[in-house]
Amino acid sequence: MDYPPGKAPLAILIMAVVSGVLLLVFPAPKREGNLQVWTFADSHFRAYQKVVPQFEERHPGVKVDLQYVHGRAVTSRLRSAFASDLPVPDLLETEISSAGTFFLGPLEDIGFVDLTEELHKQRPDGPPWIDRVVRSRFAPYTSRRIENGAPKDHIFGLPHDVHPVLLAYRRDVFQAHGIDPETLTTWDKFLSEGRTLMQTMNADLPPDQVDHYLIGLSDTDCGDLEVLLFQRDGGYFDADGTIRMDDDISVQTMCWYVPLVVGPERVGYPVGWNWELTAKAVEKDFLLCYLMPDWLSGFFQKSVRSGTGKLALMPLPAFTPGGRRTSTRGGTMMGFTKKSTQFDISWELALELYFSIDSRIEQFRETNILPPLREAWKHPALAEPNPYWSNQPLGQLYAAQADNTPPQYTSPYIQLAKGKLGEALCDCVDRYKKKGADGFEAYVRERLRQSADEIRGQMKLNPYQ
Amino acid sequence: MSDARPNSYSLWRHQQRLAPYLFVSPFLILFCVFGIYPIVKSLYLAFHTTNGPRSVVFTGLDNFRFLLQDPDFYAAVYNTGVFALFSVFLQLPLSLGLALLLNARWLKGRDTFRFVFFSPNLVGQVFVGVLASVIFVPRFGLVPRFLHWAMRTSIDMNLLGNPDLVMPALVGTALWMYVGYNCIYFLAALQSVDRELYEAAAVDGANAWHQFWHVTVPAIKPVALIVVIMSTLGSFQLFELPFVMMGGPGPNKAGLTIVMYLYQRGFDIGNLGYASTIGWTLALIVLVISMVQVRLSGAVRGHA
Repeated sequence: MDYPPGKAPLAILIMAVVSGVLLLVFPAPKREGNLQVWTFADSHFRAYQKVVPQFEERHPGVKVDLQYVHGRAVTSRLRSAFASDLPVPDLLETEISSAGTFFLGPLEDIGFVDLTEELHKQRPDGPPWIDRVVRSRFAPYTSRRIENGAPKDHIFGLPHDVHPVLLAYRRDVFQAHGIDPETLTTWDKFLSEGRTLMQTMNADLPPDQVDHYLIGLSDTDCGDLEVLLFQRDGGYFDADGTIRMDDDISVQTMCWYVPLVVGPERVGYPVGWNWELTAKAVEKDFLLCYLMPDWLSGFFQKSVRSGTGKLALMPLPAFTPGGRRTSTRGGTMMGFTKKSTQFDISWELALELYFSIDSRIEQFRETNILPPLREAWKHPALAEPNPYWSNQPLGQLYAAQADNTPPQYTSPYIQLAKGKLGEALCDCVDRYKKKGADGFEAYVRERLRQSADEIRGQMKLNPYQ
Repeated sequence: MSDARPNSYSLWRHQQRLAPYLFVSPFLILFCVFGIYPIVKSLYLAFHTTNGPRSVVFTGLDNFRFLLQDPDFYAAVYNTGVFALFSVFLQLPLSLGLALLLNARWLKGRDTFRFVFFSPNLVGQVFVGVLASVIFVPRFGLVPRFLHWAMRTSIDMNLLGNPDLVMPALVGTALWMYVGYNCIYFLAALQSVDRELYEAAAVDGANAWHQFWHVTVPAIKPVALIVVIMSTLGSFQLFELPFVMMGGPGPNKAGLTIVMYLYQRGFDIGNLGYASTIGWTLALIVLVISMVQVRLSGAVRGHA
């Protein structure tokens, strides 16, 4: 064929024509539905797909348009929509670290419906929802304001979960070395025994080579440090939204954490969120323990098949004898947009998805995520032995710690605070690597103060603070 | 009938006068809505603090004052500047070297090589970023294993987790992506150099180096300048690659770029006012650099 401009333009022209025709013949399916719901988690989306048809059957005329939207897209699209008065879904899920960022500004400008009153209402089937759900889980979705001279909480979301954290350990490896980790109830005991075990397992290797680490802990990302900080009742902000990441608890936790990931006493390795790497780590006994929230145990079951029967769960060792044996990591809230005109039906759907025991047990079987509703914890499904986790009753193990999960207080500056804690961690690790423990606590105190001051500086830009 | 002629004549004249405006109006409307309005709005916002979705408070030069003392902004400028320097001083010589190789007469399968080197650019920064994040995984990733084998480096080398190694990893990934891309420009320029010039130089006794320096370089200089300007501007807009590779600014903000910082402040914290201030400062930086480069290119053109 002779096409004067040449072969390449001809090829492009043909591709354009073919794709245009294909788009005309197979147009994108039109979305149907009069109740729009966004979720950012694939596992939630799949679980809700099973619940929605039954809900629609019970509510003739209601057609739910359930959409799976990436977490970052939820945040940016919602922020733009709230600012520009563009269409928003009737209800949506947002991740715990994004939720607080929507609570910036005057109360009347917040795009979510204030659920405080609804949650405190007495219900015909029992006490108000606020008393039936783990109370600490409302903290990340609450904005505290001073009204008439007194602080008042405004709750803008329903908690999807509790996300208690347990310690997952390689039962086969510990057993082979005659150690029962469940007897090691404090971090001091656990780390002492763990270091000995690491030394034994690495004994035949060259001195500069370590092929077995005790626990997955990051030396650059604050995710693991944050879990341990929460366990000690520390955190980024207090209930009033005041920055507290430079207080004594934070300083002590950082001083305790850094030698675990760097230096001669190191026991941690940053395995991160790479499932292939994690699978390899399990296969090769590279990591012996993991901080394991309930949702992550579900991911492990699905993505790290090689762990079947090798891993078991136990409560976290406590920082002090008799202290808290759990922490928390991650979370999701369901928010109701003010712009929606269908609050009542949205509320019913949310209750179905979040607080219906049958629906939540179904979700638990799919994801291992413990429902936040205490009534659901008595369900026999939670006591079923889980073959992946050495036949332990996974649900019961998590439920036993659920009421002790610490609150994660939030602020519109929560993401900034997380970043700043990560930067402080990097610098502290670097400092410890170069100079060791000498003057380390003073350095940590100063470094955390610097991070906190940077956040205070950003907060001061806001004339309403 | 008698009235029809002047009417149609006036309509025709009217139409003639309006036609150019009608033809350019689609572009003008789109440009005003998506170009002019955002620019004006962002300039307005740069002098305000946005607090939540609706509240906008005039703060004068406060945002600019804060920016000048903001360590995060300086970190972002430093990282972006380092990346831009590597783009110009490492990427472009490599591209030129590759183009010279591909331009060699003895090379067979030139089109295949050209496609191979260009192909990382076809898939885009997101795909390359995802791929890089996998091959940089410590201990089990391709790169740490290769470096351990070849250079006896630690197998646990965490290229995306160690603040000191983040920039080399980013630069390496960008090299893989853009060397082939820029090579195409240089190759096109090299192919347009008159062969007779080389023959004449050879007759005059010029060796390969002299031919390169006195024939090739002056001939491709205009293209090289365009590539330098484009690479510099592209480097200052760097966002997707580190964002995908590390899911954010990386450890100790070692991968924080100016555009990423703008995104964080605008969309993570919701302060569109401060984000606009960062945007305008970036525009100013890019403007100054471009002006310097344009001046340089003018000087070079004058010299040529």
